[in-house]
Amino acid sequence: MMRWAFFAALLCGFPVLPVQGETAPGPGIEAWTRIYEVVSHPRCANCHTGPSDRPMWSGPSYGETRPHGMNIRAGESRIGAETLPCRTCHVRAEAGGNTAAHMAPQVAEAWRLAPVEAHWFGQTSAYICTRLRDPDLNGGRTATEIADHLGHDVILHWAWAPGGGREPAPYDLETHIADIRIWGDAGQPCPE
Amino acid sequence: MKLTVNGSEYEADVPPQMPLLWVLRDTLGITGPKYGCGIAQCGACTVLMDGIAVRACQVAAADVQGEITTIEGLAQGDALHAVQEAWIAHQVAQCGYCQGGQIMQAVSFLSLVPDPDDEAIDAAMSGNLCRCGTYPRIRAAVKTAARALNSG
Repeated sequence: MMRWAFFAALLCGFPVLPVQGETAPGPGIEAWTRIYEVVSHPRCANCHTGPSDRPMWSGPSYGETRPHGMNIRAGESRIGAETLPCRTCHVRAEAGGNTAAHMAPQVAEAWRLAPVEAHWFGQTSAYICTRLRDPDLNGGRTATEIADHLGHDVILHWAWAPGGGREPAPYDLETHIADIRIWGDAGQPCPE
Repeated sequence: MKLTVNGSEYEADVPPQMPLLWVLRDTLGITGPKYGCGIAQCGACTVLMDGIAVRACQVAAADVQGEITTIEGLAQGDALHAVQEAWIAHQVAQCGYCQGGQIMQAVSFLSLVPDPDDEAIDAAMSGNLCRCGTYPRIRAAVKTAARALNSG
């Protein structure tokens, strides 16, 4: 039956692509809407700058949106190895640290920019969604693996407890992980 | 806690959250690293932790990992480090307060990027502030030091 459907699709000129789930309103799209609120929030997007190697300072605690002060460049390494390593100021701290305003946030992991492919800053919901579900652009991860990644990567957890007067990312880590799973179960639907 | 600074081992009875800068200056009497801002905005306290620059005001005593090198530990006996030699050759310092941190940052940078261009030098050194405005001489000295290190 599937074989006939395949040939019928070919004959009719329909593309045969993996089903990417619903795009109409439903639990998957609702979950994605919440996911987008998180990934486009300054606590996440400021370090998801895509082709730019300059982290951003944006959000209510920063006033005007601008690149990170001090001419900071994360380079191709995304950790600043070519110039000034992020860890020079964002030192690795087991207990986390620096919750006062103006201090460099610290986590129990190397501070860094997200990979170029994970480009969230200033991007639309549809753009981010299609990149996040594409294994060629998301580190080869399924939705379940994205959810697992979120659970293990402590630099991401900082987004919900940033301190220093910074606005946390919306919802909480558990809700965000649950939304990724709901979105995955629904076939990773993306808005038009 | 035990820590190694400039090749010597020390035992310091300090709270785990005490900044390394306090440990160095107040407990061990190593005063080359300077207190400027205390919030990683100026670079005057820069030291090396296993060869990589860190702001000593940002590293909690409990998070110190590896050997610490301060400006006092750069020279080998009477032989100054190539970066120190370049700083003297270009007469970089004016008031000098930030210069220990500037030199430590340059040493770390050149160990990672041996032959930098102007853009890379500016990006690497922009986190170290100098209120005297010695930046042109800093850039020139970094280039001179790079040539010296590469030739020898």
